[in-house]
Amino acid sequence: MENDRPDGRTANQVRPLACSSSILHRAHGSASWTQGETKVLAAVYGPKAGTKKNENPEKASIEIIWKPKTGQIGWTNTLLISTITFHLKKQNYYFFSHCLGKVEREQVMFSDMSLLPCAINASSAALVDAGIPLKHLAVAICCSVTDSGCIMLDPTKGEEEKMKAFAYLVFPNAIVSVLPERPLQVGSEPMTNGIMTSVTQGAMSVDEYFHCLERGRAASAKLSEILRKNLGSKSTSEASKAG
Amino acid sequence: MEQRLANSWRMPINDIKFIETALLSDLRIDGRRPFDYRKLTIKLGKEDGSAEVHLGHTHVMAFVTAQLLRPYRDRPNEGSLAIFTEFSPMADPSFEPGRPADSAVELGRVIDRGLRESRAIDTESLCVLSGKLVWSLRVDIHILDNAGNLVDAANIAALASLLTFRRPECSLSGEDGQEVVVHPPEQRDPIPLIIHHLPIAVTFGFFSNENLLVIDPTHKEECVMTGRMTATLNSNGDVCAIQKAGGEGVSQSVIMRCLNLAHAKASDITTKIRDAVEIHNNDRALRKIKRHSSAVAVDVGGNSEILKLKEEENFMECEAKPSGQVQSKDQVSKDFVGGPSSWDPYTECVNSDLLKASLASRGPSVPSKRKDSRCETKPKEQPQETKKDSSPIDKTLTAEQNNEGKTLKDAVKPKHKRKKKVSSQ
Repeated sequence: MENDRPDGRTANQVRPLACSSSILHRAHGSASWTQGETKVLAAVYGPKAGTKKNENPEKASIEIIWKPKTGQIGWTNTLLISTITFHLKKQNYYFFSHCLGKVEREQVMFSDMSLLPCAINASSAALVDAGIPLKHLAVAICCSVTDSGCIMLDPTKGEEEKMKAFAYLVFPNAIVSVLPERPLQVGSEPMTNGIMTSVTQGAMSVDEYFHCLERGRAASAKLSEILRKNLGSKSTSEASKAG
Repeated sequence: MEQRLANSWRMPINDIKFIETALLSDLRIDGRRPFDYRKLTIKLGKEDGSAEVHLGHTHVMAFVTAQLLRPYRDRPNEGSLAIFTEFSPMADPSFEPGRPADSAVELGRVIDRGLRESRAIDTESLCVLSGKLVWSLRVDIHILDNAGNLVDAANIAALASLLTFRRPECSLSGEDGQEVVVHPPEQRDPIPLIIHHLPIAVTFGFFSNENLLVIDPTHKEECVMTGRMTATLNSNGDVCAIQKAGGEGVSQSVIMRCLNLAHAKASDITTKIRDAVEIHNNDRALRKIKRHSSAVAVDVGGNSEILKLKEEENFMECEAKPSGQVQSKDQVSKDFVGGPSSWDPYTECVNSDLLKASLASRGPSVPSKRKDSRCETKPKEQPQETKKDSSPIDKTLTAEQNNEGKTLKDAVKPKHKRKKKVSSQ
């Protein structure tokens, strides 16, 4: 079902995306991700010494600091922080020999909606810019369900209020491997079909949720292409500033 | 504790010596002379009251918001202004989240003093109901990248955002006039703040050798320098504030020299800020004309009729009439008063063709712009051009209404996903 959205997009279209990296000079890695009116700036500082009490020194850890545009952090934002923290911790890092903590810091520059997906995409790009070795990146998308049961991708603030439910979905990046024999499948399904994080709000039926997943997966394939194109064009001869 | 120590970065002694030695020959490590400012870029966001300042590599953002609150007891007629600085760990690995460091508090105080004590912002105009409701301004300054001289950059960002901030208009209603109605921006245009002057902060760095003095120190120079002073002046030469907190002692002659230098720099920076704000205001007015395309259509309709009438008459007269009509739209006329002087006949012909060809896909502002420029340059074109032009204008009127919904759609290509060029807002 194709509904006419106020800005003329179809139900499957995402707002114009822009991604730029290496914006900040002090940070080891930085990236900004813009989706329509929402803009998030993420900066990564490489490994810093010292561990917190309860953390395993053998495992990599990451610390997220989130700053909204104005005012103090409200409860909605704390939910976002915890989601990003949770999601990034679950990513599998390659082996690190020393105890590490990466500090990652997000700054909301303009906030419209689909803040969380924007932030996750920005943080993925920033981690790559810093040169942190990662197994795969994460791409995120927001799917919303209207009252009539249609799925719309990437709602804006105005559309958000009319939706009955929405889901933030985070998928792993599609891997394009140099080595052809690397298995890209987990079990019988390709890895990109796996879902890393899903945050839902509102009530939707199971079918609608699966529908969201499908749409989201398709969109994330395109998103990861854009991410790869943007990051791949950066000069690889520059030395990594982290650690 | 040990975490912080392990993270602190100390400058190597070689670098320190190099910087000081280079300064003895009036050379700075980034190639500037001692009294040069770095490249200043001021970007004003689309929403009112947001500014982004790049001073060299230092990157600062400021946002202004306003709220209706009770005034302070001892000042029932005045609104309030509060500055909040956010030294985010993004800017510098030594900035810790949570409790602001001394330098953060100092920065906030310096900017606050410059604005408040010098009465740069007219707080009495912020009063709505004396003793009950006043506008309370809040300026949030985010430091995104610390490459030295945060005070100056943050000050410029705060000023730029205050200059472009618009507060909603409110009126009194109710039986005894005690109820305040806040009008949303769609109903009534929000009003700008009354700012009397712009206090500009200029930071100086002192080194162990008394003769060495730099303006706008970079991060490395800040590690090397032994004293600093920030002088806040406006372009009239009034000293609004001076901050010298500890550090190396300097003689009075050096201080006077600094103040004179600061005056020159302040005038320079003031013009830059004003220029950026003016460009932003022009864009804003143009955007508003886009929004009220129905109002524009009326004017344009009137114009095209006049064009038809005057076709047979002397073309020089035609030039005067449309520009008189254009005066009613303030900003647009400003843009086109100077039109004929920089007129390129070839371009104008091409423009009208473009308009005809891309009628359905152009936003409403473009036809209005083209139409105006065509008005003014009409006398120089061939007579048959004008006949052709008036008909597309009429088509534009009807198409404008239909194009309203298409404006943003054109911004988004009909492909599934679209990557725009790198955004720099």
